[in-house]
Amino acid sequence: MSLVNFTTREITCKIVYYGPGRSGKTTNLQYIYGRVPEGRRGRMVSLATKTDRTLFFDFLPLELGQISGFTTRFQLYTVPGQVYYNATRKLVLQGADGVVFVADSQARQLDENIESLQNLQINLLDNGMDVRDLPVVYQYNKQDLPQDLILSKRELDDALNFRQRPSFQADALSGSGVFETLKGVSELVLRRLSEVSTA
Amino acid sequence: MRTTRAVEGWTLVPLERFIMESGARLALLMTPAGQVLAQHGFTRAVDVMSAAALGAAIVSSTGEIAKMMDEPEFRALNHQGVEHGIFLAGFETLRGRLLALVVYGTDSSMGLVELFFQTLKAELVAACPVEERREPVLAADFEHELNASLGSLFGR
Repeated sequence: MSLVNFTTREITCKIVYYGPGRSGKTTNLQYIYGRVPEGRRGRMVSLATKTDRTLFFDFLPLELGQISGFTTRFQLYTVPGQVYYNATRKLVLQGADGVVFVADSQARQLDENIESLQNLQINLLDNGMDVRDLPVVYQYNKQDLPQDLILSKRELDDALNFRQRPSFQADALSGSGVFETLKGVSELVLRRLSEVSTA
Repeated sequence: MRTTRAVEGWTLVPLERFIMESGARLALLMTPAGQVLAQHGFTRAVDVMSAAALGAAIVSSTGEIAKMMDEPEFRALNHQGVEHGIFLAGFETLRGRLLALVVYGTDSSMGLVELFFQTLKAELVAACPVEERREPVLAADFEHELNASLGSLFGR
């Protein structure tokens, strides 16, 4: 739930990058961390295994700047994508203001994407949240791979994005689409604050 | 230098008193999602935002282990280091569950922190007002400023 401090005029929102294992959630945060000036971001915390797979979460605080006179901060989290880390995925989702669902565009990963999306809905419900009310955007990552290996944006929208939320093609390694995805989810999250405060 | 910041003003007096009486270096109040509601003390002791995110994760994960063992939630968690220790605990208020993360050094102790935490908890529960009416925060045409902010963030 967004925190609004009327005294110091600050807003803090929590955004969670969700999706199957190796879809590129951590890569999104690493790209953002590398691009954003040091004064506008905090330390990136990664709780990872020895092989750099996310164990609990990655965490990156960002300062967007002044919006409507409020200093606006986003706290970006990733969840571990591997199936057996569901308990920690559910914990990281607590209090999320928005979700970026990072899908792997490879055709052979479609079942994993669908399974992860279903898992997102179950975990949101377990946390007392309704996916229909939550700002969610889709990122179709790895679109740089050869065309015969990946699904198109239209095919992925058909398979995953049946609520017709904003969706973005990306290649998180090179950074393509990372900015657009963050902008997309930011707009949805802040739109809610222009309608009603959740302080 | 001691720093005090609070999203919710009613938290400040109990928090300041707690730091003074317990001798702790820093106390953070946060939501179960890891967002900081208030802080008082020597913020150089830790990176506040990261500590809050990690502290909330510790409380959540140990809470799940307690559930697996059919235990009521763990009352408090202590991690004692050589120079510093941390104390973590959750409690219910009219505004829902809150968590406290306390960092203490050699000029305090686990016992002192636990002792004065009980007072802090009681004072916060008593001071907590009911939730205020929700009103729009941002102007309806915030997108222009958002685009400019994100553009400068990514050097575009």
